[in-house]
Order: sequence, then C-alpha cells, then structure tokens
Amino acid sequence: MKPLTLTLGLITATLAAPAMANTTLNVFTAGDDNMVEYINEFLAPRFEATHPDVTVRAMGTGPGDAGSQAIYETLSAQRDQATWGVDVAVVHQRMAGQMVQEGLLANYVDDISTGALANSESARNALGVDVDGYVMPMFQSQIAIAYNPDLLEQPPESYAALANWVEEHPGEFGYNGITGGMAGVGFVFGWMYAFTDMADALQNGPWEEDAPARWESALDQLSTFNQHVTMTPGNAGTLDAMNRGEIAMGPVWMDMYYTWKADGRLNPNFRLLLLEPGMPGQPMYYTIPERAAEPDLAAEFIALATSPEVQAEGIVGQFNWFPGIDAEHVRGELSDAQWEQLYADVSPETLAARGFSMPQADYFRAILEAYESHVSR
Amino acid sequence: MTTSSSIAVSAIAPRKPFSQSALGTLLVLPALTAIALLYALPLARSLITAFRDSDGTWTSEHIARAFSLYGRDVLFSIGVVSASLTLITLVSIAIAGYLVLGTTPWAVRMLRWLYRWPLFIPFVVSGQLARSFLSTNGMMNGVLVESGLMAADSAQSFLDWRGLVLTFAWKQIPFVTLLLAGAMAAIDRSHIEAARNLGAGRLRCLFNILLPQAAPTLWVGLILSLVAMLSVLSVPLMLIAGNPTMMTSMMAHRITYYGDYGIANALGLFSYALTAMTAWVYLRLTLRREAAA
Repeated sequence: MKPLTLTLGLITATLAAPAMANTTLNVFTAGDDNMVEYINEFLAPRFEATHPDVTVRAMGTGPGDAGSQAIYETLSAQRDQATWGVDVAVVHQRMAGQMVQEGLLANYVDDISTGALANSESARNALGVDVDGYVMPMFQSQIAIAYNPDLLEQPPESYAALANWVEEHPGEFGYNGITGGMAGVGFVFGWMYAFTDMADALQNGPWEEDAPARWESALDQLSTFNQHVTMTPGNAGTLDAMNRGEIAMGPVWMDMYYTWKADGRLNPNFRLLLLEPGMPGQPMYYTIPERAAEPDLAAEFIALATSPEVQAEGIVGQFNWFPGIDAEHVRGELSDAQWEQLYADVSPETLAARGFSMPQADYFRAILEAYESHVSR
Repeated sequence: MTTSSSIAVSAIAPRKPFSQSALGTLLVLPALTAIALLYALPLARSLITAFRDSDGTWTSEHIARAFSLYGRDVLFSIGVVSASLTLITLVSIAIAGYLVLGTTPWAVRMLRWLYRWPLFIPFVVSGQLARSFLSTNGMMNGVLVESGLMAADSAQSFLDWRGLVLTFAWKQIPFVTLLLAGAMAAIDRSHIEAARNLGAGRLRCLFNILLPQAAPTLWVGLILSLVAMLSVLSVPLMLIAGNPTMMTSMMAHRITYYGDYGIANALGLFSYALTAMTAWVYLRLTLRREAAA
C-alpha cells in the first residue's frame, strides 16, 4: 500500500470536531429511553420555538437510581471547575437529596413562574432531606396492586388482609421480590411500613443503627408470605403473568399499567387498588446544578416543562404519570375522560392518604439488605 | 493428512524499511488504543475495585460478602452453563453430522437453511420469546394441552434453570453447528468413503472418523459459547424470578439498588476466574494434543 493512501486513511479516521454555532442547553436525565425521547421530541421543539438560537441536547444516563448516580458523579467530578457541563438535571429522590446536602444544586424554584404550582410534600422533602426550593417535581409515579376482577371479586384491602388471603389462595398473588424491578421493591417497602410500626421513621429518618434489629417479625412474616405467592421475573413479568391468568394480583407501577392498557397490551378489565396503610411512589425532579453554564435558560426550560399545559399534554397525556405540579392546576387542561382515566381506580383522596414515599436512603438500603439476608436465602 | 498443525518452519522475512513498519504500527494504533482503553483498562479497574474499600484501603470483604450472599448464584451459573454446553454439544454434533453424512438431499437442504435462524436473533429477543413461550400458560404448554399430549393441570412453568438452559442452547447451537459443520466438511471425503467401504455405519463414521478430527473446532465453539452465556444479562433478568439466578443478574442488582461496585466487581472476578480456568483447560488439552501429534 502506498504511504499516501495510508496517510489519507489515517486522516479520515480521525474525528473532526464540529464548530459550535449557537447556545446549547445540556439536559441530563436519568430514567429509561422514554425520558430522553420526551425531551427530544416533546420539550425541545417547544422550547426551541421560543428560543431560536438555543439547541437542547438531551443526554440519558440510564434507568433507576444508577442513572441518577451517574449524574451525581458527573457533577461531583467537575466540582472545582468554574462552570459545569450540565444545565438541567432530571434525577430521582435519593440522589437529589444527596446533591442538595453537598451543595451541588441551585435554589431556583422561587425565581421561576411555575414555582408556586408544586406544593406537595415531595416537592419539599426528598426521603428525609429538605430540598425546598431546589427541586420541581416532573411527575409523581405510584406503585399499586393490580387485580383481575374476573378471578377474584373482593380483593383484600390491606397488607394484613393480603397476608391472610394468600394462605387461602396460594400462588394467586405474584410479585418480583426485590430483583428485576422496583414494583416488587415498593411492595416490600409497603410491607415494612405496615408491619413494623415505623412507617414515619422509615420514610423521613433519622437513621437508627439498631432499627433493623426490630424488623425480625416483619421479615419472618414476609418469608412465610413468600411461600404462598408466585415469584415473577420483574415489573413486566408480573403484568405478563396477570395477562396469562397465572396470577390474579400483583404490584405494578401505575404509569406502566396505564400505558400498557392504552397500548392494548393489558386486559381492559383489570383494576387497581392501594393497600392500607399505604404503598410508596416516587417523583423525579427537575434540578439546576449550582454552576450550570446557562442557569437562566435552564430555569426557563423547567418553567416550560412544569407549566400546566405541558404537564397535561406531556406528563399525563403521553406517559400516564401523575402530574408533578398540584393536580388542581392541571385539571383545567385535561379532558374529563383523561381525568377519569387517571383517577378512576385510585381517587386523589386515596392517593393523598395512602401514597407514601420511598424510605429514607439508609433505610432503603437496610431494608433491601435485610430482605436479602433473611428472606430470599 | 492430519488437521493438527505440524511444526512449520517459516523463512525469516527481510527487514522492512523503517518508514513502512512505522506506518504499519500507526495503522494498528487506533485499534490497539481502543482495546487498551475500552477493554484492558476497565478490566484492570474492575479487578482492583473488587479489592478496594470505600476509603481506598485493600480489603477482601467484597469477595467474602459476594460469596456469602451470592455463592448459590455462582453455583447456579456454573450448573446452568454446564448443562447448556452439554445440550449444545449433543445437538450440534447431531445437526453437523447429518449435514455432512445425510443422504436425503431435500432434508439436508432444509436443515441447513433452518438451523441458522437463531443466529440472527439477539439474546434479548430470545429472552422475550422464551418468557412467554415457556410460562405456565404460555405457548409451549398451550400447544401440548390443546393437542391432547398433556393434561391442563400438569402444565408447569419452565421459567427456571430449565428455561435458561433451553434459551441459551437455542441461541448457541447454530453458532457451534456452523463452526463444526464447516470443520467436518473440510475433512477429506475419502476418509468417510473408506470407512463406509469397510462397512462402517454413518454413526460410526461420525464418532470415530469425523468428530476426532473436528474436535478442536468444537472446543473453540464451546468456549466461545461459555463466554457468551456467562456474559448475558437480559435472558436471566427476563426469565428468572428471585434467587438463585445467574451472576450477571446479581451484578446488575447490586449496582442498581446499592451502587455497590465492590461486590459487583467481586462477582465479575468470579466470572473472569471461571472463564480463565476453562481457557486454561482448553489450552492444556490443545498443547497436549500438539505434543502428541
């Protein structure tokens, strides 16, 4: 091969850096691909229409807390620099709390037009950490029990009733344990809230070293419970098993449930209920890093994303999530049918009474570890 | 003729001028850098992280905890992979043997066309297929019950180690068969004809003539399948509920829910160890064969 051809080959193999023409707004989001799609296909066009010289660049960091952890690590690594490469960060509660404690986030909510629209507990408190002013909820998701009315007329309404019910109906309740999906994890958290009398402490802290020692009886009851239920591979596994008629009840994410129903992938007869005393849910938050390069643009982006119109059309309409801002502000933008569909099985009052939050970070980990050592072995 | 390599004497090539060898090195440099940065470096980091505490001190706690929490899963992984490899070996030999020794042309043609299909299906799709096919009320049981071959109450869910073995085998058999059939087809036809002339049945030909000569290729195929099966996350995640399950599932679980890279990397260490041991056994067998040849 001639040296010239080789050299040309090398040059074409090197990457050419494109020149930056206009301003870029870097939006980093944890969560599944649907989050990135939402930013690219729904929010970005609307924002760029009103800001012609801005390009919105969405970056997905992966699902679950691991994705939020990736964003935290990105910010933490740039801690000493003057400006950071992240303008808007969409993260889960656990990481949001940690980032506020470490001073990585800007206090921006009072400065945006939609700041007063979110007044729920989760807008001020993230698993025991005070995050007031640092976060705007993007949506609220909730774990509930889906059941098949054709297979059981009167489902148990509380955890205690459920524990008795499975002994008479072995194999008809299915969940995925703590592996493969948060629906099962949420169910286990609800179990702990119900059977340890520590519901408040578990959700808000403070962390007590000796608390796990007091969970013996709740965990033993859970072990017994597990012997009468079907274990499913994950969130989707539970829904699939219900579809095939293998189980009659199981914990599900409400938004996943509604989305599957809307797509025609779920039996339309299924119903939802929230077990007493309550089941957890979690929001995701819009945040602005302390040293974002474009904090004003970021604030405007979040104001757009948390406006009632966008919350109604995007969050509720497209994803079947509960809105992040207070429901009453979104009510006007939703049709009666949409509102009915969202709150048909679980009314806003039930949601307010039985919609708990996830446990505080240390308890989150401790419960999972206790489950792994006591229950699943 | 023998397929085991005889010692080849290579002539010493003349020294290339400096500019040519430098350009050659430059050409390979991107690929080498990619391997170094994307494979060697993460591997080294993974091995080191398995022994590092959160404060940076060396510790064996991760290994110990990984063993105590997930020892059962490690044994399960070994068991599932061994069972899969056995099934793969049996079926691949059968298919490859028939492709070479079969006497019905249309059957050979159809088999040759049919057996390759799973090659083009990714693991995650196979997992999704298996998830509904193998369940209690899934297609497999449905067909068996509807056709009267099985009573409805004896339908059981195959979403356990059996489903894993079947899915892995279904996915890897075409790959190993491809390699094996190629190796068998490369063997001089006169060997088979000589054996047949002397009265050997086709089965005898397969096991006494073809297989010994194609064995090295079979081993390579099996080792590659072993690595593939140990690295798959999607299939165990989709098929297996709870524990025991494959190591990859527990690695992902550890990272997602605890952010615990220490134990995840310790589990990774077990994976590397398993693969390394198998590779070592293979190399010893090969070297012994080379020495004996």
